[in-house]
Amino acid sequence: MSGDRARIEVSHLTKRYGEVTAVRDLTFTVEPGLVTGFLGPNGAGKTTTMRMLTGLVSPTSGTATIGGRPYRRLPRPSRTVGAVFDASAFHPGHTARDHLRVYAAMGGYPDSRVTALLDLLGLAEAADRRTRGFSTGMRQRLNLATALLGDPRVLLLDEPSNGLDPEGMRWLRGFLRQLADQGRTVLVSSHVLSEIQQLVDDVIMIRRGELVAAGPWSRLAGPPAVLVTSPDADRLAATLQASRPDGDAPSVEVIQAGRLRVHGLDAPGVADLAAEHRLRVHELVTETSSLEQLFLHLTTDKAATP
Amino acid sequence: MNHLIKAEFRRLLASRMWAGLLLAALLLGGGMMGAMALIGPENFDPPMPGLHTETGVRSILGILGYTAFVPAAAGTLAATSEYRHRTAAVTFLFAPRRWQVLAAKLATYGVAGLAYGLILAGTAAVALHTAAAVRGVPLGLPASTVLGLLARIGLAMVVYLLIGIGVGALLRNQVVALCVVIGYLYMGEALLMMIPGLNQLYPILPGGATAALTDFTYLADAMSQQLGSTTLQLLPPAAGALLLTAYALTASLIAVLVPMRRDIT
Repeated sequence: MSGDRARIEVSHLTKRYGEVTAVRDLTFTVEPGLVTGFLGPNGAGKTTTMRMLTGLVSPTSGTATIGGRPYRRLPRPSRTVGAVFDASAFHPGHTARDHLRVYAAMGGYPDSRVTALLDLLGLAEAADRRTRGFSTGMRQRLNLATALLGDPRVLLLDEPSNGLDPEGMRWLRGFLRQLADQGRTVLVSSHVLSEIQQLVDDVIMIRRGELVAAGPWSRLAGPPAVLVTSPDADRLAATLQASRPDGDAPSVEVIQAGRLRVHGLDAPGVADLAAEHRLRVHELVTETSSLEQLFLHLTTDKAATP
Repeated sequence: MNHLIKAEFRRLLASRMWAGLLLAALLLGGGMMGAMALIGPENFDPPMPGLHTETGVRSILGILGYTAFVPAAAGTLAATSEYRHRTAAVTFLFAPRRWQVLAAKLATYGVAGLAYGLILAGTAAVALHTAAAVRGVPLGLPASTVLGLLARIGLAMVVYLLIGIGVGALLRNQVVALCVVIGYLYMGEALLMMIPGLNQLYPILPGGATAALTDFTYLADAMSQQLGSTTLQLLPPAAGALLLTAYALTASLIAVLVPMRRDIT
């Protein structure tokens, strides 16, 4: 990897297409050494933002910099940033090797780099086949190989999991983790929140072009809740709430008759307290929050406030 | 800039386009010219003056000039293929100064067009002389003049290829751009010649300028006679050459300037 770590900084970025505002006053940073998920439903403005980051789309206002410079001012951009925007961006008549050799020439990289990347991404055997016959997984690998030609410090991937089978997805997760562990900045957009959850360290959530939440996933997710099924649910709820002084007591939410969601006390704590008071517990499950829940939670809150 | 030209050459040589262009140059130059000369323009339907006359030689050379839509289509394909196959975003990521990418394409395809023109003119010269010798017909123009005229046609092919790139960069949609370029060059100009009033524009259109290069007036004259309109006066060859160069420069400028600020979505 060339040079220092590079942070992505987006400041008050706005893009309007006529009457439609695709991205509105967006501000966030993406840190090196982590995988950051850029999340939101289809049409939220993820692709437009990523294209503005790389100079493909000009912002209406605001700035986006990578390592302190706008993309178009980077001295040799492919050494700093690698990006994958389309699931398939090759001439169908070119072989994988042809494709990489074109861009190696463009970036000024030797042919040995092409061979090295074909090997790294497991494309060596398919190297001399025309890309029109490539599977989705192979296309994704060739996209990544193209993006990595310049050994960049920053990697941007727009919806990389689209069309990947579970095995391909697992491979991608491992690969991106490895790149982040090497100190690179990795930004991955996705609208399939469940797919990306196991991968990301930080999260940036947007909806209708606006920021909804940003920060480390562990902080946004909060402590896990405990789901309790008990025939003595009412008494257990009262006991839990009385277990500690008012402000400090666990909060109890009645999901339905006989089922509670407890915040502020872990599963062993709930079990011990129930045993102490001779209350029956039929099921006890630790519920880690999901990106999906967080997103729904945040967006419904937002919708409720005028 | 050298990196970009190298990349464009690799792109051209990796696809089958260069082979297609080579084949077209051989078929249209050697093949078509050989066939026309062997049959003889006097046996065409309607008959044209024979090869032993100056008009006859200029006419069949002029017909070769009408194949310019082939390199034009190749240029259009080259410029639009990046949008069609969605490699434009990748290319502009590697080279954010977009005008340099298009300048590199123009340079690369300028060379390719030159090679195409040389092969087209070279094989046409061989085919024309061989066919004339086989039939025992002396050509109506000295060999050096024929070669000079063929060289002009060869150079005109470079111009048309660059025009194709300009139109492609402007329109981006491959099918639309191809229809416009081929439709205009193959049909559009011929139709214009039939419209009274508008046909006075013909001498300053690319087709008219190309015809001026070889002083190929036969077709235009025949058409004016049939329609009973006034005879069209082509530009002098040098003016035609200048005008074609101006078209190539305009197309190149369009190709370089248009993609500069456009969003790649």
